[in-house]
Amino acid sequence: MTAVTHRPDQAPPADGTAVTGLPPGIDLKQLAERKVLPLRHPVRWVITALVLVLLANFAQTLFTNPSWEWAKVSQWFFSPAILKGLQLTLLATAISAVVSFLGGIVVALARLSGNPVLSTLSWLYIWLFRSVPLILVLIFLFNLGNLYPSVGIGVPFGPQLAVPTFTLLSPLVLGVIGLSLSEIAYCAEIVRAGVLAVDQGQHEAAKALGIPQRRQFFRIVLPQALRSIVPAFVNQIIGLIKASSLLFYVSLLDLFGVAQNLGSTYPTDIIPLLVVATLWYLILTSAISIVQFYIERFYARGSVRELPLTPLQRIRRTVAGIRSTPQGNTIA
Amino acid sequence: MTTPTAKRLRTIGALATAAILTAGLAACTTSADATDTAAASGTVTVGAFSNGAGTETQIEVSTVDEIRTTLPQEVLDSGELTIGIGALPAGFPPLAFTGDDNETLTGSEPDLGRLVAAVFGLKPVVSNATWDNLFVGIDTGATDVGFSNITDTEKRKEKYDFASYRGDNLAFQVLASNDWEFDDDYENLAGLTVATSSGTNQEKILLEWKSKLEAEGKTLDVVYFPDANSITLALNSGQIDAQFNPNPGIAYQNKQSEDGANPTRTAGIFSGAGETLDGLIAATVKKDSGLAEPVAAAINYLIENGQYEQWLDAWGLQDEAVETSLVNPPGLPLDNS
Amino acid sequence: MSIAIDIHNATKSYGDKTVLKGVDLTVEAGTVTVVLGPSGSGKSTLLRAINHLEKLDEGYVALNGELIGVRVHGERLKERREKDILKQRSKIGFVFQNFNLFPHLTILENVTEAPISQGVKPKDAREHARTLLARVGLADKEGAYPRQLSGGQQQRVAIARALALEPEVILFDEPTSALDPELVGEVLSVIRTLAGSGKTLIVVTHEIGFAREVADRVVFIDEGLIVEEGTPAEVLSNPKNRRTQDFLSKVLA
Repeated sequence: MTAVTHRPDQAPPADGTAVTGLPPGIDLKQLAERKVLPLRHPVRWVITALVLVLLANFAQTLFTNPSWEWAKVSQWFFSPAILKGLQLTLLATAISAVVSFLGGIVVALARLSGNPVLSTLSWLYIWLFRSVPLILVLIFLFNLGNLYPSVGIGVPFGPQLAVPTFTLLSPLVLGVIGLSLSEIAYCAEIVRAGVLAVDQGQHEAAKALGIPQRRQFFRIVLPQALRSIVPAFVNQIIGLIKASSLLFYVSLLDLFGVAQNLGSTYPTDIIPLLVVATLWYLILTSAISIVQFYIERFYARGSVRELPLTPLQRIRRTVAGIRSTPQGNTIA
Repeated sequence: MTTPTAKRLRTIGALATAAILTAGLAACTTSADATDTAAASGTVTVGAFSNGAGTETQIEVSTVDEIRTTLPQEVLDSGELTIGIGALPAGFPPLAFTGDDNETLTGSEPDLGRLVAAVFGLKPVVSNATWDNLFVGIDTGATDVGFSNITDTEKRKEKYDFASYRGDNLAFQVLASNDWEFDDDYENLAGLTVATSSGTNQEKILLEWKSKLEAEGKTLDVVYFPDANSITLALNSGQIDAQFNPNPGIAYQNKQSEDGANPTRTAGIFSGAGETLDGLIAATVKKDSGLAEPVAAAINYLIENGQYEQWLDAWGLQDEAVETSLVNPPGLPLDNS
Repeated sequence: MSIAIDIHNATKSYGDKTVLKGVDLTVEAGTVTVVLGPSGSGKSTLLRAINHLEKLDEGYVALNGELIGVRVHGERLKERREKDILKQRSKIGFVFQNFNLFPHLTILENVTEAPISQGVKPKDAREHARTLLARVGLADKEGAYPRQLSGGQQQRVAIARALALEPEVILFDEPTSALDPELVGEVLSVIRTLAGSGKTLIVVTHEIGFAREVADRVVFIDEGLIVEEGTPAEVLSNPKNRRTQDFLSKVLA
């Protein structure tokens, strides 16, 4: 249906342009010199307004609902007991993050290796610890003494050096092992995906240049893989921080554990204590997100022509932009 | 000229990575285990840091050699008595909870454990765990004896030996704004939703009332929560009408909530030694570990010499007193635990 | 003239598909050999077999009398350890169709990476790299990252990178195929200057004009076999084999 029909009730283009159907008296050439108006989105504005009203309502309850007990929140926020729990959360998360990152590389390498025993074992490992909930891992670990009354190494059927399980491992070690065991499984998959995402040509180029194998991995493949590994891994760390709230299963009082524990001693402060824990978790994840931005920016070099702006740079640029823009041209 | 810059950038990136990964590595560890500093010779402090639940009291108690010599050799060799508490993540004041220094594990239960350890002439080590892990700790030998408001049941006797030390008074707790009263009549529970703790004396009693009510065509909803905090929140938010649990804990919470946003009150007390068999609170040791008899002997020694009464007074538990500690007294029947 | 590369009975299949069917080829030191052939003819596989990026099923490649990637083991040829193969590869430069520069390293680091990994002092490696970058006309780009360069510039960096190990032989796998037409010239001119430098070059390409001008020898491969070889004049201007004639008529059309 490409036939053009010329309607008699409309004037033919007055100025000789090829555009038809114009209202009378319009000089298209003149319009062409003005800025094109953007399409308006009234529904978008209505939804925005609704959401803002709801948000304002909620924000108001934060101040007017006495249950939040902000005075008590601020009283507990920096209390030594809470800070001690926070410290444990940070410590257990940090150690587990390092252990699981390194362990993840090892398991991923085993999975990618040509050795069928290694790759099957690491597949089994990943399968097992991705399947079993962390809470069960922790409970089993804590009860290790029940399953294996002593841990030892030695020659099979020969002399053995054995230590009773429960004296060998402190709760912190047990907790870190528990967190790491399941975290390594996820991390291995993240690293594996990252390594596989590196262009085959990079492996070939490294080989063709005769770069030794270990250096090929750590200097050529891993840094490129990190671009996709880092965001996923930071996500894991954030998950890990929250997972550490299960550590009371191995008798460790982390941030959440302390809040719970104090809540029973001070039954009227249960809600404020939970708010304190929530705020601290928010602070921790925000801090990690900031670090993530800069790490990602660092690993992005070479893969984008221009690095993303830091928030500070963005503010500067916006301010500079407003200053340098002549008044008349800034149309909202 | 960009090379040194690039290298510096890389170093900064590596440092940033390292920082996020190792933040806090230098921090010290926190564990729920606490080794008490050796008590001054012959004196045990009970009721410390009780947040108003008890009175700090010095109790004189010295090693009793006749009892000490009956202890299993391994325990004597270790020089320590590991006392298991199942108060994680939330404690149950005044029985076992974190004191008002926000650090010390206090309460009537660990205190009695300390008194028993003093009779044995052993150093008390209080170990806090989740309720489940408390029992696993006893199974594995990590914990010598559990003092944690554990009710003696026939089911538990399959794996543990008991030395009873306390009775069990129960109470109904409601919001102060609620004028419901128990009035010693289970008929008043009709139509209510009541929380209790599973596997306990109070649950057994409540379930009996429930079946009686149902036989009359009435309802009673019995609900369970993982810990005391969850019950408190459920009560405050109106999800449950009342909770039915040990009287000391409820008395503590009522006192604490007096000036809070959601004050609570006791709406009736019920003696565990009521119509049916009384469930006793007992020190719990691994079956055939040879510890039940020495523990019972130590408690009986404390009863005879007045320290037991001092301990009850310090925690306001006079109503829960027993006359004597029994090894493996009849417990709650199998089908309820 | 001495023989730099000796290929004998190079045979390779992927599953049921035989890509190389027993290729024999010798290349004299210091010469430029251009390998032509339709796509899928096996010319890239042959080139990659020379530095053992492809393992041959049968046959061998020798560089200056030394077997590449394999050694004699009793009555058979046996695969060498990866570590030894990597050492051998440093004597053979390779330039890829898609450049394969390391995107996270600067231009200078791309060039110094291999020498430093083989124990050259970083300072010396950088000095040499700057000379090489100047030679390919990119002295001012050493701090840039590969993606900030045009395709032609990237390929010139790749050539500098291949030269950094001072290899005796440089292999070019369709070095201009991924480039926009206007960028082909700058890369070819760099290769041209290398041709006179005494290095042995083997170039897989479709640039017939370049072959005519620079090659000492042209080899035409089809279906895994060398169909015709000779001087550019012989093969390009006066092809004897029908398949060579067909190919040239299509390419030059």
